[in-house]
Amino acid sequence: MSALMSEAGTRRVDEKTEVCDALAGVRVVELCESTEQYAGKMLAQLGAEVTLVEPLLGCDSRFEGPYLDSRPHRERSLTFAYLNQGKRSICVDADDAAGQGVIRRLAADADILISSVGPGVMAARGLSNKDLSQINPRLITANISLFGESGPYSDYVGDDLIAMAFGGMLYLGGYPGKAPTAAWGNQALLAAAQFTAVSILVALWDVESTPKNDISGQHLDISVQESVAMALENSAQFFDLEQKIKMRSGGEQRQAGMGVFSCQDGMIYLMAGGIASNRFWNGTVQWLLDEGVEAARVLFDEKWNDQNFLQTEEAKQTFANLFLPFARERTKAYLYGEGQRRRLPICPISTPADLVENRQLSHRGFFQDVLHPFTGRQILMPGAPYRLSQSPWRGGAPAPMLGEHTYEVLVRAGYEPEQLEVLMRQGVIA
Amino acid sequence: MSKRRPLSNIKITDFTWIGAGSYTTKILADFGADVVKIESSDRLDSLREAKPFKDGIPGVNRSGYFADRNSSKRSITVNLKTEEGNALVRRLVKQSDVVTNNFTPGVMERFGLGYEDVREIKPDIIYLSMSMHGQDGPEARYLGYGLTMGAVAGLHYLCGYEDEEPAGTGTNFPDHVPNPTHAAFAVLAALRYRAKTGKGQFLDLAQIEPTIALLGPAVIDYTANGIVASRVGNQHQKVAPHGVYPACGADRWIAISAPNQATWQKLLTQLSSPALGIDSRFIDPLARWENRVALDRELSKVTVNFEAAELGERLQRVGVPAGPVQDAADVLRDPQLKARNHWVYLDHPEMGKTVYSALPVKFSSIESTPTMTAPLLGQHTDEVLIERLGLTLEQIVALRERGVLS
Repeated sequence: MSALMSEAGTRRVDEKTEVCDALAGVRVVELCESTEQYAGKMLAQLGAEVTLVEPLLGCDSRFEGPYLDSRPHRERSLTFAYLNQGKRSICVDADDAAGQGVIRRLAADADILISSVGPGVMAARGLSNKDLSQINPRLITANISLFGESGPYSDYVGDDLIAMAFGGMLYLGGYPGKAPTAAWGNQALLAAAQFTAVSILVALWDVESTPKNDISGQHLDISVQESVAMALENSAQFFDLEQKIKMRSGGEQRQAGMGVFSCQDGMIYLMAGGIASNRFWNGTVQWLLDEGVEAARVLFDEKWNDQNFLQTEEAKQTFANLFLPFARERTKAYLYGEGQRRRLPICPISTPADLVENRQLSHRGFFQDVLHPFTGRQILMPGAPYRLSQSPWRGGAPAPMLGEHTYEVLVRAGYEPEQLEVLMRQGVIA
Repeated sequence: MSKRRPLSNIKITDFTWIGAGSYTTKILADFGADVVKIESSDRLDSLREAKPFKDGIPGVNRSGYFADRNSSKRSITVNLKTEEGNALVRRLVKQSDVVTNNFTPGVMERFGLGYEDVREIKPDIIYLSMSMHGQDGPEARYLGYGLTMGAVAGLHYLCGYEDEEPAGTGTNFPDHVPNPTHAAFAVLAALRYRAKTGKGQFLDLAQIEPTIALLGPAVIDYTANGIVASRVGNQHQKVAPHGVYPACGADRWIAISAPNQATWQKLLTQLSSPALGIDSRFIDPLARWENRVALDRELSKVTVNFEAAELGERLQRVGVPAGPVQDAADVLRDPQLKARNHWVYLDHPEMGKTVYSALPVKFSSIESTPTMTAPLLGQHTDEVLIERLGLTLEQIVALRERGVLS
């Protein structure tokens, strides 16, 4: 297996320095428009060479806020800047026959092609797995669609919110009695992007460890709805095993001692219970006593070990009446530090501003300055989501400007400059 | 052509427990990796004691929460504190490609199974540590769960209505998607790196970090613009209508998004509300955005007369993005998820036929449907010790009598 892997894997590895990226030599053509671009970002930042193929006017995420200086402009989208770090951009009209020819030529020399369109769209473009595997049998194609490419809802339309609704996660978020609320920031599309990235590496492992002639066109069909359904915690099992429907509980304690509590300068989250046990209860009560909340002694009573009692309004009220006055006189930093010193699962409810101040994240150098070439500004962005000791995560070049690499990518793909002039004149590339 | 499980040559010695760690190795196990979960009846994986239980009756082999996170794995019970138990586990580690854990830093070291220890036994090991805050730093030993991670990472703050307390996702979200996918991705990348270079490596995943990575735009709006993003309910896109509206029935809701003039007009036709179409407040996308609060109020008055699933279907038929807000019962009988075989019912020795989730991807020639039910506690102790370490039944009986295999 190793011999085959190295044959495919050592393309363009820097032999002199011996350092090489985990995904060195992997070429990715990406036709994703929006948040699904996170999959390509994951690949790029471990060393894959990712080329984002954009429509001539730019992909959708260029038209999603927030914008730098809050000035809407396709080169100022911070969403785009974040999702496309480390990639190159070329503009090709994928709905034009000549444009499809360009993409086919890129696919001939690629390992992976990612798209995020409805079922049948890639086939209508002549860019289906079947079409492309004739040119390049080892190409892995992956398509992210809201409901997947088969089944009765495969033609349904929607966005992140609709997938959240159909996938069952939306129902769990929010407050009792009010309209459910979705997770911030397109987490449904992001979930699909993450599962796509994982699945692509499994398919790549498969291709690279299978003899050349035994491979013919691996296609991955990713459903956003199903990706959402992976995040239901235990609620599918709750219905299956106990016929209970889990409800949303925002704005309330999930059980006594578990939830959001206000403090002097913000809010904290406390889990005096922990998962499936009450192992932190006594520690929490002792803390209150140590800080002079004498009345907390009642919480040592036997009944506080009963999970059913903890669910009652009476229990929640009693706990809140003791804990809130205590918390209100203390800062989130104090409560976090002291609670953790006592080995209790307590933490601040961080705002985005708090994250940048977080001393643990600072220690790890989590946030990194990234140049924004259009304005020349340096912008602090989240960095490595994992540390690989030998083949480290790299931020990579700043997100590309629209069509920044059209020329160099297409010349490398074998086009003559004059041919590019013709295609540009036709409005096929830009 | 028969479908392959590409990771079937990969052996993982798995020390993970509870949420994110177990979900990580489930992904790898469903793709064929031989995942041996190291357990102890002394210190149970607390998910084994977490609701829901088959028929509501607690038991270490009855939790659905545990089951779904541990499909396709084998479980052995070993007392790591005994010298013999520790030695057995070392022998397993020596045969492994990957070692995984999600303890706070120092715990594996105390068992003599830290990265440096393991590297001595198996120089090219891929060693995944997924503690909450990473391996070093002032808060490295701080503890928490998915919910508190979501809070530290900023997700909790951002979800819900602006004028209410933050609601979060209602789940331990980082455990379910961000951490397992990022961790599995890192392991797979490291496997490729090893195949290419012969080198293993140490993977340090701080469980708060992937979730922050998924909130990039909110972080950057602050660092670049000084704007602290706030909760927006369901108004994530700058389009209106885009939200969740009441439907008839108790706690029934429909999500609707009409991003342009064409879908807006179709929506009104289906709702039989032509008056809204000529209302100057809602005449074009900009007017609808500016009057979105009034718009949501008006739409709610109408949607409440419809059954959610039926209205969703009707709107979808004409191309309007919409759908019922499905609860767990709806999701389990959802025809689309059924057609995609998302839910897999496996016959567990103690729980009977119970539901598992399959990974959300269909491959043309790779299989990832769970192969086995979650293991009973220590179900495969004998099997693994015989098959992998060549022990005899007599030796196993003796070890068990000495309390090594509990």
